[in-house]
Amino acid sequence: MSIDELETQLRPAFLAGLGGDAAAYRLFLETISLRLRGYLRSQLARVGRHEASEAEDVLQETLLALHLSRHTYEPASPVTAWAHAIARYKLIDHLRRSGRHAANLPIDEEAYQLAAPDTVASDARLDLSRAMQALPERTRTLIDRVKVQGCTIAEAAGAAGMTETAAKVAIHRGLHALARILTKRGPRAEP
Amino acid sequence: MKTDELISLMAASDRPVDTGWLGRTTWLAALLATVATVGLVLLTLGARHDLAATWASGPVLTKALFGASVATIALAAFQKSLRPGLKPRKGFALIAVPVVAVAIWAAVTLMNAPPEQWTALTFGRSWRACLIAIPLYALVPFAVLLALARQGAPVDQPFSGASAGIASAGLATIAYSVHCPEDAIPFIASWYPLAMAAMAGLGAWIFPRMVRW
Repeated sequence: MSIDELETQLRPAFLAGLGGDAAAYRLFLETISLRLRGYLRSQLARVGRHEASEAEDVLQETLLALHLSRHTYEPASPVTAWAHAIARYKLIDHLRRSGRHAANLPIDEEAYQLAAPDTVASDARLDLSRAMQALPERTRTLIDRVKVQGCTIAEAAGAAGMTETAAKVAIHRGLHALARILTKRGPRAEP
Repeated sequence: MKTDELISLMAASDRPVDTGWLGRTTWLAALLATVATVGLVLLTLGARHDLAATWASGPVLTKALFGASVATIALAAFQKSLRPGLKPRKGFALIAVPVVAVAIWAAVTLMNAPPEQWTALTFGRSWRACLIAIPLYALVPFAVLLALARQGAPVDQPFSGASAGIASAGLATIAYSVHCPEDAIPFIASWYPLAMAAMAGLGAWIFPRMVRW
């Protein structure tokens, strides 16, 4: 799929998501994550990193950043360019953190135009799971219900004795906290 | 956590998002910061003694307009630079228009003046004060823009910082024009842009250190 076709498919979904349409937003996230996985894997391979779990970590960090930066999207601009700019930023940040000097990062600004989607998810290196440990108990339980047990937000909120809105806000804060922990962590210990 | 679990989590907690907030807040914050800086200049340095008679005169207005045009162009680029995927550097070259215009005006002024006045026209009596005061007052809007940048997603932090620095210096120029007693165009064309360049450097240095996301 060319980048233009992808744009035509994704933009309406993302705009609907911005308006609060969760199903459209989910479709956007699922589709863009395939593309970003392909992009991140190919870029990491170019610098000699072939482990799929590393790409998955950067992908999760990128998705989290996309989610928390939705207000920075300019509605008249291509959503694929927005998403890839964030992915590129997170990739460079990741490489820098793992000991590469910024000056010799060969991450081309237009490289995303050629990336192919990659549907084979792999296990992440646990960065996000480790960060989860730092969240408050209540938020962690809520997140667990929604992500692992596949509860709807209404069910999870009911089980925790909260309103649906309060549950959404709590999860949103939890995601914010996760992003902050991931940004602040020091250089990664290389395996 | 698996990636599709993360996706369900994000989709489940999705709520409507306002994409206009960042732009509106940038302009509003710049306006309020300017008012605050003018207040600070009046409080600390006081107005120039002849402000009542000269505020609408060429020089005072020139300084304020120069600062305002530079700040507007820089703020537009700054606001764009907080949004990934846009090309904020594109429109930024416009900043050369007011700077070059003032420089040409200064050159014409100098050519029409006898050479023995050149030093006085360029250095005035207070070039050091101007060079210190503008960056100092610019710290007020600069702090506001720095806080704002942390709410955005700048992918090119040195550029965001440089544009925030120039915008702050431009806003500080407006504020300082109520005090600055120097009216010679060569003075304005030399020290004001230098103060803006200094703030651009500060911003480009500080943003990558303070705005990580």
